Parts: sequence; C-alpha cells; structure tokens
Amino acid sequence: MSKHHLGRGGDDGGNKVMLDIPVNETVTLADLTHDPYPIYKQMRAQTPVVRVAQTNRIFVTTAEHTKWIKENPDIFSSDDPMTPMKPAFQAHTLMRKDGAEHRAERMAMQPSFSPKVIRSDWAALYEKIVNEYVSRLPRGETVDLFSELCGPVAARILAHMLGLEDATDEEMQRWSQRLIDGAGNFGRDPQLFEASDAANVEMNALFEKIAQRHQSEPNNSAFSVMLRAKNPIPLSQMYANIKIAIGGGINEPRDALATIVYGLLTNPDQLEEVKRQEAWMDAFEEGIRWVAPIQVSGRRTTQEIQIGDVVVPKAETVMTIQASANRDEAIFDDGESFNVFREKHPHQSFGSGPHHCAGAQIARRTLGHIMLPLLFDRFPNMQLRNPEDVVWSGFGFRGPLNLPIYLD
Amino acid sequence: MVSITFIQPDGAAQTVQATLGDSVMQTALNNNIEGIFAECGGAMMCATCHCYIDDKWAEKTGDKSDGEDDMLDCAETEVTDASRLTCQIKVTDALDGLVVRLPSELA
Repeated sequence: MSKHHLGRGGDDGGNKVMLDIPVNETVTLADLTHDPYPIYKQMRAQTPVVRVAQTNRIFVTTAEHTKWIKENPDIFSSDDPMTPMKPAFQAHTLMRKDGAEHRAERMAMQPSFSPKVIRSDWAALYEKIVNEYVSRLPRGETVDLFSELCGPVAARILAHMLGLEDATDEEMQRWSQRLIDGAGNFGRDPQLFEASDAANVEMNALFEKIAQRHQSEPNNSAFSVMLRAKNPIPLSQMYANIKIAIGGGINEPRDALATIVYGLLTNPDQLEEVKRQEAWMDAFEEGIRWVAPIQVSGRRTTQEIQIGDVVVPKAETVMTIQASANRDEAIFDDGESFNVFREKHPHQSFGSGPHHCAGAQIARRTLGHIMLPLLFDRFPNMQLRNPEDVVWSGFGFRGPLNLPIYLD
Repeated sequence: MVSITFIQPDGAAQTVQATLGDSVMQTALNNNIEGIFAECGGAMMCATCHCYIDDKWAEKTGDKSDGEDDMLDCAETEVTDASRLTCQIKVTDALDGLVVRLPSELA
C-alpha cells in the first residue's frame, strides 16, 4: 500500500514508534448526537485515530485517512457480518458488499440515476413536483419547512425515480425512517426491528403489486430498469436495493435542503451574493460540506493495518467520520463556518471509492439546479426569525429536526 | 518519467510528468488538471474523470476495463467513441507523449 497514510507530515522511515490505539472513555453517543463537531475538532488535533470506548469502535477523523480508507476496500471491507442492516432490510444489501458482487448490483440501478436519464426523464418531472410542493406552502405565517417541504418533496422525487409512485409521501418517509432506525439499531432493541419488519411487509406488498406493470409498461425508474435488464439480478436483491434507496434517498436530500436553507438564512450577506451570482450549486456543496447528511461510514479491517501513528488489528470496525474530514484544518480554513464563497476543495459528503454515492448527480441537479433557485425565487423574503429554535441532531445521520420559517 | 499533455475544451494545453504505475487520473489530480474531478477516487464508480483519447493513442492505452462502458454511460459530459475513464488508464513507458483531451460541460 502507498505510504502516504503513514502519519501526516511525519517521516516514513523505519524508526517510527507505533503507538497503541488511544482510548477515549468519556465521549458518549448522546454527546455525539447532540453536537459532535467540538469533539471531532479535538480528536483531529489530539487523537486522530481513537477507540471510543462507549461505542467500541475506532474513530478516524482526518480527511486524508477517511478518504484513504474508503478507497482501499481490500483492507477496509464494507462487509460487516454483525451489521443491524441485515435484520432491518431482511437482506444483505449492496451497501455491505465488496468487489464484483457490489458492482453488479449497483450498476443494475445506476442507469436510472445517470445524467442522461436525469435530462431525458427526471429534470422536467422534478421541476413540476418542486413547483407544486412549493406552491402549496401557505403565506403569512410561520411554517416548519422541514416537515412541510423538505421531507415530502424528497419522498415524491425518490418515489418516481424508483418506480414507486403508487406510494404516498407519508409511506415513503415512514418506511425510510424505520429502515434507518433498524439499520442503526446496534443495541438490538426488538421493537425497532418489529417496526422495520412491518415496513418490509408493506414495501414487499407494493413491489409485488407493481412488478408486472414495470415489465409491461417500461420506464427509466430503478425498479423497471432492474426488472428488464439483460441479466437481471435476483428479485430478492432488487427488493433489497430499492429498500436501500428508500432508506438512503429521502433523509439525505431532506436534511441537505434544510441545512442549506438554514445556512443561507443565517448568513444573509452570503444569500444576497448567492442570488446575485446564481451560485446555488456552490451553496449546495457548501451546505453538505458544513453538515454532511451522512456523517459516518463504517468499514471492517481485513488485516492488521497502520493508520497514522497507530496499528489497528484485523477485524476491527473503523468509523470514517466524513463530517470531521469536511472540517479538517489541513484542507479547510475555518471549516466550522458556513461559507459558500470559501476556497474550493472537495468535500467527502458523497464518500469516495466503490461506495461513492450513487445519487450524487441527481442530488446536485434536484437541489442545486431546481429546488434552491425556485424556493428563493418564490419566497425572496422568507425569514428564520429564531434560529436558536432549530434543533440539530444526529451522529450517523445529521440535520435539523425542524425549520420554522416565516413565509410572506 | 512519462510526459502527458492534457488539453482543455478551449484548447489550452498543459504537459505534465507522470509516474509509472499511477493512473492518468492520479496524474491529473497530482497536477490539478481542471475537469478531472475523480470523485470516487479511481473505483470506476462515478465517471467524473472522463476524457477522450484520440485514435492514434487508443492502441497504446489499451482496451476498456470490464464495466467501463456502463460507467461511461453515466458521464455528465458527452460520450463519444474516444471516451475513456482516466482512472482506467495506467501510465506505462509506451504512453510517453500521450494526449488526453477533456470534455466540455453540457448545459
């Protein structure tokens, strides 16, 4: 393996003393859920690779290391036999596969998310959907944009992309949340798996109902494309992978939108400049850099491996913290602040390596090209009167839980 | 060392030295070549390192990888018969003088 990971700025010579993995006994999941950023800042400065005792996982917090880990799947596998994703999705999904098997399943869906299909099928439809959802917002009152716009519009857009337009926004959001809650159920709370099981029953029933139609009336939705492939993957894996897209395709655009709107409304000078330059795509990229909707991704070591100054044993779970990488002082000046006009550097919110976000282009198009310009055009004077009322939460997934905006 | 010339859609050319064994994508990143984003870092999962290789170099750059055409179908920029993903082209001595053209962004 390349030597660039052997300690940042250190010498790679033979005299280097390898350290035991430091242990952080104090940080709790509750602390991280409340506000992880000061904790990550301290970790980057003092213990960039550290075992967090209360989660029994190794946290990796610098941009160099997180990127390197994701780009080396032979050493850092996505396959985690203990993952609660398996019971939650009632399947071993592509998120937890490596190599050719992962690629085959992923490429089965990929045409639906391609720029070509975005242009031919989705762009006009999404513009119509966004227009409709923004138009129905009330005026002259304070509205929770998170629950009234961000969630439902993300659900509708995803439903079409997957070929599930029969499902309601409410169903899509409920399924998504239950899958996420199950996938993050490291404590193995049976109630959470009961909830995800119930969601699986509903989703399977829908898939069975619409499969025939997607064969006879083909379109470019993910389900239809997978069903009609020359060498289709097993039906069970199509189901599993549509569920992955439901679990992963609503909260990210929802949280990204809420985060960007918050960032712009709390930085009115930047908002004015964004409007003047029509720099909506820059606002999009900065919003997801600032607070990555998916903050953390787990990998499992397939061998003993040196990360920075420490040696990590085989079969350990390392958490690559892209939320922290995105604010790494080695790359970003004042990364803790929202600044649309900062010097451009790649962030890691879409990950890297084989599991690089399949929805990256569609997210950019939908939010950067369609949603943000339209929303601020319709409501040029919307106000977040009490930013302190916005509640931020999340360790694995993070964003505002509410966004009370006065719409005039 | 092997020299590689990257040509932007506006004709601007930049010749850089590449290390044997690196990919052309890695070479572009090391030299901050505009238009090579390489979001997935070379895993052939994003098509943001798309380029064009002219016929006279195509033999030397070799055949496309398995699955490269499928991924090229997902490129944001215009795909032609000359299209390749720079992450799938490995720098060898035979590529000394290689010309890599970069695509224009589609509206």
